[in-house]
Amino acid sequence: MTIARTGKEAPDFEATAYIQGKGFQNVKLSDYKGQWVVLCFYPGDFTFV
Amino acid sequence: MAAVAARYDQFKALGVEVLSVSTDSRFVHKIWQEEELSKMVEGGVPFPMVSDGGGRIGTVYGVYDEAAGVDIRGRFIIDPDFVIRATEVLTPEVGRNPDELIRQIKAFQHNRATGEVMPSGWLPGEKTLKPGPALVGKVWKEWKP
Repeated sequence: MTIARTGKEAPDFEATAYIQGKGFQNVKLSDYKGQWVVLCFYPGDFTFV
Repeated sequence: MAAVAARYDQFKALGVEVLSVSTDSRFVHKIWQEEELSKMVEGGVPFPMVSDGGGRIGTVYGVYDEAAGVDIRGRFIIDPDFVIRATEVLTPEVGRNPDELIRQIKAFQHNRATGEVMPSGWLPGEKTLKPGPALVGKVWKEWKP
């Protein structure tokens, strides 16, 4: 398993997502190659900060 | 999440796509959007809300807490060559500063466009440094902390 490291290639993934106006879609990180991406993890929906 | 959504026009202007990721299912993402986020931010969260069931993605990115079963607050700036340029990881109690995120993106984009490097605390428009043999031992002439 490739682990994410700053300065190294981002590990790719594919997962299901909710996209407003489009509904449920699969998202693959490498589909965004060629543009800047911010990948933002957070502990959970309905949390407070 | 809402704070990033509220500044989404700034991310768009910089050509940045945002992907948010939590261990919640896509169904929960939808209800959170409809019931809460859309009331916090006009139009709601406009970017894909990825479901990381079981923390599979978070594990690879070093942010999955197995004991709590959640992804903690990790954010990664990925450049167009698919290289991770910056990482920030916080435990859940404290939220992030999206303005600092935008500052870092602008600095990396400036570096990519010009080859110049940005000293500590750099803001767009401020002095940059041009790395090279002439600068060795002479940074003090160009920049003070």
